[in-house]
Amino acid sequence: MDRRSAIKRAGLLGAAVAMPTMLTILQSCKDEARLTWKPEFFSDTEAKTIATLLDMILPRTETPGALDVKADVFIDKVIAQTYDAEGQQHMRDEILGFNAKCMENHQANFIDLDEPKRIVVLKAEEKSSGKFSRGVWGKAIGPQEAIGFYRSMKSMAIWAYFTSEEIGEKVLSYDPIPGVYEGCKPLADIGNRWSL
Amino acid sequence: MANYNIDAKKEVTYDAIVIGSGISGGWAAKELTEKGLKTLVLERGRIVEHVVDYPTMNLDPWDTELRGGLTPEQQKKHYKATRSGWIGTDTEHFWADDEANPYTEEKPFLWLRGHQMGGRSLLWGKQTYRWSDLDFKANAEDGHGVDWPIRYKDIEPWYTYVEKFAGISGEPLGLPQLPDSHFLPPMDLNCVEKHVKSRIEKEYDGRHLIIGRCAHLTVPHNGRGQCQNRNRCSRGCPYGAYFSSNSVTLPPANATGNLTIRPHSIVQSLIYDDKKGKVTGVRIIDAETNEDIEYNAKIVFVNASTLSSTQILMNSKSNRFENGLGNDSGELGHNLMDHTYRVGAHGKVEGFEDKYYKGRRPNGIYIPRYWNVDEKTKNDNFLRGFGYQGGGYRGGNPANSESFGADFKDGILKPGPWEFFITGFAECLPYHDNKISLNTDVLDKWGQPTLTIDAEFKANEKAANKQIQEDAVDMLEKAGLKDIVGFDNEHPPGFGVHEMGTARMGRDPKTSVLNGFNQVHAAKNVFVTDGACMTSSSCVNPSLTYMAITARAADYAVSELKKGNI
Repeated sequence: MDRRSAIKRAGLLGAAVAMPTMLTILQSCKDEARLTWKPEFFSDTEAKTIATLLDMILPRTETPGALDVKADVFIDKVIAQTYDAEGQQHMRDEILGFNAKCMENHQANFIDLDEPKRIVVLKAEEKSSGKFSRGVWGKAIGPQEAIGFYRSMKSMAIWAYFTSEEIGEKVLSYDPIPGVYEGCKPLADIGNRWSL
Repeated sequence: MANYNIDAKKEVTYDAIVIGSGISGGWAAKELTEKGLKTLVLERGRIVEHVVDYPTMNLDPWDTELRGGLTPEQQKKHYKATRSGWIGTDTEHFWADDEANPYTEEKPFLWLRGHQMGGRSLLWGKQTYRWSDLDFKANAEDGHGVDWPIRYKDIEPWYTYVEKFAGISGEPLGLPQLPDSHFLPPMDLNCVEKHVKSRIEKEYDGRHLIIGRCAHLTVPHNGRGQCQNRNRCSRGCPYGAYFSSNSVTLPPANATGNLTIRPHSIVQSLIYDDKKGKVTGVRIIDAETNEDIEYNAKIVFVNASTLSSTQILMNSKSNRFENGLGNDSGELGHNLMDHTYRVGAHGKVEGFEDKYYKGRRPNGIYIPRYWNVDEKTKNDNFLRGFGYQGGGYRGGNPANSESFGADFKDGILKPGPWEFFITGFAECLPYHDNKISLNTDVLDKWGQPTLTIDAEFKANEKAANKQIQEDAVDMLEKAGLKDIVGFDNEHPPGFGVHEMGTARMGRDPKTSVLNGFNQVHAAKNVFVTDGACMTSSSCVNPSLTYMAITARAADYAVSELKKGNI
């Protein structure tokens, strides 16, 4: 069954607390997260961890979710092909650290936690994972606090999602050759944010 | 416009040689060929033909495997330039190879280079402003550096000349410190920029917020198409809507039949003939075969970009010039300047949530200099001035939101909050000890000496930066912005990519390298008309001035040649 639409129908949105009646549904869906692709960088367990995280941050609704546009596959490719050895090791250490925290607080690795517990984990990470400073011309301005694994993975997930063909062309407002610049239009005439 | 004549094999003698094909070299090539001179352009890198050699111009993010990310090998190749934050797979092929072309930073300095036909004219910011007599008289008035040998009236007709050909869009304002160009229609401000403009202009006497003046066509011009607001300029523009050598100056130069452009030509030195008392040609190394070749010409235009032009002069040693060609004054390599960069303020704007824009305008706003423009605006904290660039847009960083899940995802599909920022560019004084020198310990891929760069911003620039940040925060507060962050990223020189000086123009051969027509004082058939020639740095972007100075010098060179004076 489609876990996302089940949650949505039950009004269990985003970071809301799971109702006990929902638990059976959630748990019955758990085994859907089986790996059906071969990562370039991640181990199977790491890939499942990332996929579970991405699916919670950007689930399928009326629009596709992160996994529908293979954001996890893309992130794996980016780490494999653009990170140097040190950066790759750092990524592994961070996933380990993330799971170690889950183990300490909830006595299981992230992917083995039930959805309510995972929501608790993400809520805590939202508080403790740092925030990106604002940027000007692509660079942070002023001081930048340390960014934790969760925040950086969330940022990568959004990047991977927005720059996927399906979201970039069909969900966001897509206009590769605008022709004119109009500086002040009703938002209603455009709709979603520009993809480019 | 295709089919450049690149066959420099059968002919080694030309009327003129132009070293470099970037913004100033392209203009030199156009002017000299159109005036009938058989001209050889020596280009360090490869041929980049307009449109044909813009492989990424139409790619969407999902069309490239890594959506802009660079591999470790690419990062290593551009280990200097990646510090700018501008390099992605879309433009990687237009940035120089930092490993093959090393340089040494005595103090931190970012030297961004584009080694191909068109040079950095493919990558530049396209902001185009005339300088004024406030700039040309500045050194004489406050005693820093030497006096410019020219004034605004000398260059004014040449600004008009290059603007009419290049196509500069903007709005006339009538300010003496920022003379109006010959303009194509201005681009539009968006609603937030208009709002901030009205508040700032109401709150402050003498401050103006205008749309950037820029080398983007807002209407078709000279056979080129107008800007389509894609903001993919640095990949090369298929419409030829922004000024680059590739789309604007080299095609007409080629059309004269007088142009030969030789790619992969690393200029080693200029050849000075002691007996004739002048330069007779240029010595190159073929970058692909390592072959040494000499080309002869009556005149040489050195347009390799600020630091590279001076590097060539320094490496051109002879009995007459033991310390580098034209270096009688000892000023060659000195007085390096850049503009300060990324100091300003950023804030959020409320009340326009139901408004958005269409199009990706490759341009922002400009706030012209308002300090030290007359007695009334004198600022005791620093000499000279600064201007701001910036803009308004819907931004935000959805990753910072403390939520996740379905509602979060649906929410981030909508545009984020309106934001607005300004960042100042301050004039840098000409300091003798901000300098470059030849480094014979670190050689490039072709065994040539490299540069050591030793430059820093000093007290005056730091004081200007302090004022930039304070004023920026103050203006955004008065404009009613919320959540304002003032910032100073303390960028070292080079980040502004407005390197100027190191072979300055001047009235006195004892204190300068070039005269008022950009001739090397003691080798009058050599002209240097890129950023190296600059005697001061103004606070406005310099490229338009390079274009005008080059066209003026080329006109003079041809007339002197015809008179038999050089």
